[in-house]
Amino acid sequence: MPSTQTPPLAGLATDPTSLRPPLTDATIERVDATQVRARLEALKGEGYTMLLDLGAVDYPERSPRFDVVYHLLKLPATATTVASAGTPQRFRLLCGVDGAQPHLPTATDLWKSADWAEREVFDLFGIVFDGHPDLRRIQMPHDWEGHPLRKDYPLRGPARERAPRPPFALKSNVQAGTPPSGKTLEALQEQVKKARGQ
Amino acid sequence: MTMSATPLTPEIVSHEGNAMVLSMGPQHPSTHGVLQIMLEIEGETVIKAEPEIGYLHTGIEKSAENLFWSQAQTVVERMDYLAPSSNALCYVLAVEQLLGITDAIPERASQIRVLQAELTRIASHCVWLGTGCIDLGAISIFFYCFDMRENILDLQEAAGGARMHPNYMRVGGVNGDLPEGYLAKLDALIAKFPGRMKELRDLLQANPIFQDRTIDVGRLSAESALEWNVTGPALRGSGVAYDVRKAFPYCGYEQYEFDVPTRTEGDAYARFLVRLEEMEQAMRIIEQVRRKLDAPGPVMIDNTKIAAPPKETIALSMEALIHHFKIVSEGFRVPPGDVYQAVESPRGELGFYIVSDGGNRPYRVRTRPPSLYNLQALKGMATGAFIADLVVQIGSLDPVFGEVDR
Repeated sequence: MPSTQTPPLAGLATDPTSLRPPLTDATIERVDATQVRARLEALKGEGYTMLLDLGAVDYPERSPRFDVVYHLLKLPATATTVASAGTPQRFRLLCGVDGAQPHLPTATDLWKSADWAEREVFDLFGIVFDGHPDLRRIQMPHDWEGHPLRKDYPLRGPARERAPRPPFALKSNVQAGTPPSGKTLEALQEQVKKARGQ
Repeated sequence: MTMSATPLTPEIVSHEGNAMVLSMGPQHPSTHGVLQIMLEIEGETVIKAEPEIGYLHTGIEKSAENLFWSQAQTVVERMDYLAPSSNALCYVLAVEQLLGITDAIPERASQIRVLQAELTRIASHCVWLGTGCIDLGAISIFFYCFDMRENILDLQEAAGGARMHPNYMRVGGVNGDLPEGYLAKLDALIAKFPGRMKELRDLLQANPIFQDRTIDVGRLSAESALEWNVTGPALRGSGVAYDVRKAFPYCGYEQYEFDVPTRTEGDAYARFLVRLEEMEQAMRIIEQVRRKLDAPGPVMIDNTKIAAPPKETIALSMEALIHHFKIVSEGFRVPPGDVYQAVESPRGELGFYIVSDGGNRPYRVRTRPPSLYNLQALKGMATGAFIADLVVQIGSLDPVFGEVDR
């Protein structure tokens, strides 16, 4: 019977980039949280015009706990034909973020598109982007508690105290006059009311 | 005067000076889903627009982490519900990269995948055009478009068994060969298509009302399109010829002849022209695929560790039975690693960043949703526009909220 739990981090090394050769045409690099801002600025200066995507991965048993993953694309605005666009260079920048007080500098002033991407990472992972102009939840309701894409967040949401299911009588298994328990239907209904706290 | 930071403010309208904050949506017919836009307006002019999303958040990425690799495909397919085959294709390509079986995919499977991806592109653009014209008050276009889309949905149903979410792609190939009579139906669609496109062009392209509503509306320069991370037809309408099918070919797209239409104006009309031409180019690819599909061949990888063995072998071979049972009950395992795979969906670069820890479920499925980033550009685009033009701008970006919110 397959377990409903996410399997443990069997075999996942601390540095995913070391596990397999690069599978796409991307350059892959890993930096510390302290250097990420300088590295992004440098990459922007090198002509990486697009911040294609910004996401995060949670490795709860690892330190640093989170990986924030930047995907950049070097696509000049002058690429007006397929030939001049060619195969633009892709860049994947991975950055480890500590789990206790996760925070990173924002990239919104470098690429406007980082705005919603950073808000989403904040919303779903709880990583704070310092300097973001409008850092608030984007997918979850604004009064939500917890960060759903963290691995320690239960799949079906935070455990709520559920009232025990009240016993009920189905028409099909209660014969008129002779209930299976020997009690009358009224008594069963009384029992249901009691269980519901009425 | 400040914009309300809380999306669900009970005060829908508030006055201060000449400006007014107005909440458009989340239940507004022209938002193509559930989008709320907090508008700061002066008269009819938008000073600032702040889209509020998340009303359709269904936790697909979280769900995918808790399903087998093959099961997760069914939930990621539901993100962009207008182009399910594109989502599924991107996902299976990413998983195949992690498995290291990309080169072992049968030729015919790749051809069928290209066919599905291009059909779904036409179907998706049909919805964009039909609903976009309804926003402008042109009702009849909708029926022309949905008629053609219906033909494509019939083909999807014939191939995969379901109209909206065929779930036809599989890691390792596609789920069974095309059924009998499929190619005849496809030929009928190919024959019908040019006439339909001509009708649509005749109705719209030189229509002065349509031009009045779309030309110079929602201008996006090439530089700001890149800065806002806009991809797909919206980027090509601004003059940048970036198409994942050409830049990073997959499924053998380099074998097919097709053009990447671009326009330099960067307005809603340019995006309209780009998409129309894209539909014709998609049909050009379909015609080329169609010619290859007469030759039979395998459509699934010959590897029983990944693909369930053919049903008829189960009664004859103990091994086949065991493999079948293993794949159904615990799925297949994927070596640890991470990968980013992109395809050109009808809306732009759809990417999956997938991490595997070696187990039978994905460790993390991060999507690069083209709709999310395209929609975000509305923040820059809407300033200074009329409210009525905002509707055109949203339509011209073609967001799908299943994908924006996931």
